[in-house]
Amino acid sequence: MVFFFQILMDGIATGAIYALVAVGYSVTFTTMRVLNFGLGMWVMLGGMLTYTMHVSLGLNIVVTLIAVVSVLSLMGIVAERLTVRPFVGAGSEGWVMATLAVGLLFVNVAELVWGRNSLRVPAFVGQDVLRFGAFGIYPQNLLIIASSIGAFLALEYFYYHTLWGKAFRAVAHSPDTSRLMGINAGGVATASYALACVLAGVAGILVVPITLADPQMGTVLGLKAFVIPIVAGLASPRGILICGIAYGAVEGLISGYLFSGIRDILAFGLMIAVLYWRPDGLFGQPSAERA
Amino acid sequence: MLSKLMRLTRIAQAALVAAGLYAVPVNAQEPVKIGFAGPMTGPVSAFGNEIKRGIDMAINAVNAQGGVKGRKFEVVVRDDEFDPVKTVAAYRDLVERQKVLAMVGTANSAAMLAVTPLINDQFHVPTICVHTDATAIIENAAKAEGRDNYLFRLGMFGNGQADFLVDSMVKKFGHKKIALLTWTAGYGQIGRKELTRRLTELGMKPVADETFETGDTDMTAQLLKIKAAGADVILHYGTIKEAVSIFQTRKKLGEPMAPFVSSWGIAVPALWKAAGSLAEGTINSNVVTVDGPQSPERQALVAEYYKRYNQEFDDPASFFDAYDAVILLSIAMDKVGFDPRAVRTALENIPSFKGVSLSVDHPVFTRDRHEGHTVDDMMLGRWTDGKFLEIQYDAGGPYITPVTGQKKYIDPVTFGLR
Repeated sequence: MVFFFQILMDGIATGAIYALVAVGYSVTFTTMRVLNFGLGMWVMLGGMLTYTMHVSLGLNIVVTLIAVVSVLSLMGIVAERLTVRPFVGAGSEGWVMATLAVGLLFVNVAELVWGRNSLRVPAFVGQDVLRFGAFGIYPQNLLIIASSIGAFLALEYFYYHTLWGKAFRAVAHSPDTSRLMGINAGGVATASYALACVLAGVAGILVVPITLADPQMGTVLGLKAFVIPIVAGLASPRGILICGIAYGAVEGLISGYLFSGIRDILAFGLMIAVLYWRPDGLFGQPSAERA
Repeated sequence: MLSKLMRLTRIAQAALVAAGLYAVPVNAQEPVKIGFAGPMTGPVSAFGNEIKRGIDMAINAVNAQGGVKGRKFEVVVRDDEFDPVKTVAAYRDLVERQKVLAMVGTANSAAMLAVTPLINDQFHVPTICVHTDATAIIENAAKAEGRDNYLFRLGMFGNGQADFLVDSMVKKFGHKKIALLTWTAGYGQIGRKELTRRLTELGMKPVADETFETGDTDMTAQLLKIKAAGADVILHYGTIKEAVSIFQTRKKLGEPMAPFVSSWGIAVPALWKAAGSLAEGTINSNVVTVDGPQSPERQALVAEYYKRYNQEFDDPASFFDAYDAVILLSIAMDKVGFDPRAVRTALENIPSFKGVSLSVDHPVFTRDRHEGHTVDDMMLGRWTDGKFLEIQYDAGGPYITPVTGQKKYIDPVTFGLR
């Protein structure tokens, strides 16, 4: 029993990391029908900048958070204007390659700037293990679970209770109509792209004490996190949270009860099975309704 | 008659040289070129530069003694960017255009394996490998066919390291239940195969055989299974990043937890930088450490390194092995001159050697053994307060020496200090 619950708890903690990154995919897809395929590398950038600011320069974690968010939102705005809008405007699918290219560029630059070594960032909420009887968990993992839930709640609130959020949804529904209604659809597109980059960067800040900071830290994470919105349905933050946590738990249980070598085979196989059964994802709206 | 005439001419020349009137023939002054291609730029440049620092300091030492037979040593460096394709091109350039007489190997096993057949079949230039540990670099086709093998190595080698790790844990630490925890990528799986082979040879088998993927951040399932199997010790092959995940998970799961042993792949100062005190009490194999009390020779070299480069070591083994490699080449050349084929044979006939990485009373290399370090020359080190301290043994069991004269015994069960 201890075995089962410890594995489940850690699976949930890992899943919350996936969910936090996965939300970023959903934001741009909801508004622009665009995905940032290099999102994992934005996570990495958030993590590396955290190392430089929090560890090398010794800045307070709140100051670091504000600085990273500012830098990444600016970079997100620039990236959208340079690598997404020209292609979307021309009706090209070139943004698929362009967003990935930006990510790969980040990895190479990061390897030159920070080297390939894994760098340690101490946990912001203490390094000591919390023990509940036979179970143990790191406070940082609890912070990540809380942040994932927080990010989901904030997004739901934003979409349904703020003017900008309503503009996001209007643009998602029909960019042309929303333009006629006086919504700055281009501005919304840029803002949503920058928001996705910032969310990824915040995920980077939160996970870096667990994953260590190195230029490759976002690569696998970005890929795994990509599975979540596909399974959950790209437009559903709520579904992403639930599926992310479930995916982490399933991964943990497969490693625990079968063996770790087949974990990814089974987990990705499960994803294909889900898509076969529900092509729009578990929480997605069938696309016929959207047309 | 002719030879007498030549001798007279030589005597006359020597007299003129002594008088400063006759220039020594150009070839006697021409420097001895030692080739090195390695990652000098890019993300793994730390290893290429560390090897080059070893070569540079050894060349300084050789030249300070006046060189070999009046010829100074000189290194010719090419950047292979850790890319095997570029290594092949760089080796061609070094051998065919730069006419290097010997080489020190690159920092990438895959690249070394790519140039191994070229070195033996076309270049015929003795090459001493450091840093790369793939068994097949030395156990190559030329060796299997009984031809001259131009590849030599200082440092760890794959199957020897697995033997050493397993034997140390079984025979010196007295463990019977060994768990494997290896990376699913090439390096980890070669390690897993070699460790399993050695355990089988000793009539044992691993009580748990767990793996992990690149980027895994949690090892709970693997470690709980290892715990449930009642393992005494965990043998690991992998990289630093996932090792830190293992350490984090170990701490979370709490005691009792089998102690952790890994190969030299992570036995570098970067491990402590990434893991901090989580690495305390873990053990790695290696051939050398710069922490703790040192021989005077090594002490002097370490001091000179700090003075010259004003930085910490990136990979002490690469530095010291490269240093010894150049010194061994100078010894061989001093004996037989500069023909690469003769130098190759001479390397097999150096009766003993006192170097900074390797010190042996038997031949450094033989016709059949091109591994300088044997299992007897490998060491285990325990990470202790940021230092990688060599483990030695006496009647009281394994111990470390944090400072001269101080002896701290290691509890073989927990790797804690007593």
